[in-house]
Amino acid sequence: MTTSIRFDLKHGFLVVALALYTAFAAGPFLWVASMSLRTTTEISAEPYALPDTLHFSKFAIAWTDGNYGTYFGNSVIVVLSAVAVLTVIGAMAAHCFARYRFPFRRFLYFLVFSTIIFPPQITIIALFQILVEYGLFNTRTGLVLAYVAFQLPITVYILESFFARIPSDLYDAARMDGYSEWEIFWRISLPVAMPALSTTVILNTILLWNEFLYAVVLITDDDKRTLPLGIQKYMGDQLIDIGMLATGLMIAIVPVVIVYVFFSEKLIQGMTAGAIK
Amino acid sequence: MEHTAGRLTSSEPGLGLRPVGAIAGFLAPALIIYFAFTAYPVVRTIWNSFFQVFPNRPDEFVGWANYATLLFEDRFFHRAVGNTLVWALISPVVEIAIALLLALALYARVPGSRFFRLAWFTPVLMSYVVVGIIWTWIFNFDWGIANGMLRAVGLDHWAQAWLGHPDTALPSLIFVTTWMWAGFNMVVLLAAMHSLPSEVLEAAELDNCGWMAKLRYIVIPLVRPTILNLMVLSFVGKMRVFDLVWITTRGGPLWSTETVSTYVYKRAFNWNTFDLGYPCAIATIWFVVVLGGVLILTGLLRSRDKLEY
Repeated sequence: MTTSIRFDLKHGFLVVALALYTAFAAGPFLWVASMSLRTTTEISAEPYALPDTLHFSKFAIAWTDGNYGTYFGNSVIVVLSAVAVLTVIGAMAAHCFARYRFPFRRFLYFLVFSTIIFPPQITIIALFQILVEYGLFNTRTGLVLAYVAFQLPITVYILESFFARIPSDLYDAARMDGYSEWEIFWRISLPVAMPALSTTVILNTILLWNEFLYAVVLITDDDKRTLPLGIQKYMGDQLIDIGMLATGLMIAIVPVVIVYVFFSEKLIQGMTAGAIK
Repeated sequence: MEHTAGRLTSSEPGLGLRPVGAIAGFLAPALIIYFAFTAYPVVRTIWNSFFQVFPNRPDEFVGWANYATLLFEDRFFHRAVGNTLVWALISPVVEIAIALLLALALYARVPGSRFFRLAWFTPVLMSYVVVGIIWTWIFNFDWGIANGMLRAVGLDHWAQAWLGHPDTALPSLIFVTTWMWAGFNMVVLLAAMHSLPSEVLEAAELDNCGWMAKLRYIVIPLVRPTILNLMVLSFVGKMRVFDLVWITTRGGPLWSTETVSTYVYKRAFNWNTFDLGYPCAIATIWFVVVLGGVLILTGLLRSRDKLEY
């Protein structure tokens, strides 16, 4: 803190309050991080101590014996596939809504956009039936399709408002140069919209990485579980191995933390996009 | 939550063009996914709600019977509705009040505000599964830090199994979602405050306007649209809360934390009733309630006269 700040009583009180709130907001994760490196015996003896020796080997054990390696792999496959599909078809639709005039444009946009507030229960039971009928129940493909449908509205919303602000001179010039409509999308809209695209990619990655309800309904096999499902499985055990579970939690948290460290502003932008006017 | 992004005017060249093939091509993938995996399931859920839907058997039409049962007989459903409504009505107010205080603290240009902002935002990045497990431990009777702190200050008799008692379980879970979302709301409010025109605030400064008065008459009215959006978001989020309850209490003890979402899940996939029609009726009713709630909230909070600046 700089010395130029005048530290009167009010300021001092404020800083203490802010520090306390920070401990409250971030403390639980630091605690889990510490537990993830301690053995269950150590945790039982003293739950809130810092690690004496860092048992990094716990991560290797959780990865293989705890099956977290499989869950992690499934999460990566499902989330990356869903995000890739979402980005491409979301961007195409957003570009179309933003740059062309056609009948029912506003109606279709409203139809897609309004699903943002739908509770997932209104689709999930029928989605379960549909995926069973098409042999996609309990497959990662089925989960990916559900995820794409689930995140499509927010993706289109963020991208559409960005595409709509691109100056039309760019498009006119491209048309004069004889670009096809597809080339215009591919070579003008997409490159210019890189910032918005990366926002949606990061946002969708985090939200789907954490998703639980669709996964728990649509996946039953242990070897197809995503991380949240895998973790939840251990929670159901009568004798919870707390130390191991903490390590498992960290395996789920670390990728999110890494993304947050590198892209915090982008992530905040994406998460808050729906709320800012 | 209506769409207000910058619109193109029809006078712009190029927009008059209607390359039908290209438009259809751009829209088709998204619309196919939308109709196949969102619109069709919604319609089918509503359709199901008038039937008994058992596996390997033709659906049996029951008319409004499912609705009659759940509206007039199903006490578990009534309990779930009560709990969910309590959650959805308390949370937006509490979360946003705390968020406003936090945002104001940072708005006053406290040193390290960037760090605080990043740190407070973290809870919302974690999945409810992770958050639920951590807070189960925090609320643990023997070694949870919640009771640890009470014992440390001599309030031993307050220590209890927070999630294990019907009176404290729901408030404890509301506490957890507040912990999770306050920072998120704060970040949004702070962004809204920073986008306020500085002249207005400077004018208030010149008029010797007190801190509280400035807050009450200037800052809050000006960020009201943002507050409205956050309230709707928080309300909708709590009306669908599932993961946290499922991980921590599964609706117990004694249905004290049962929410509509967990009850739908139980009736559809967890109890061995096998009938998908009844949970579809619950989902349909709740869908209508959520839409109605959003409309009412938007109407209530938006109808006040708008401030120009």
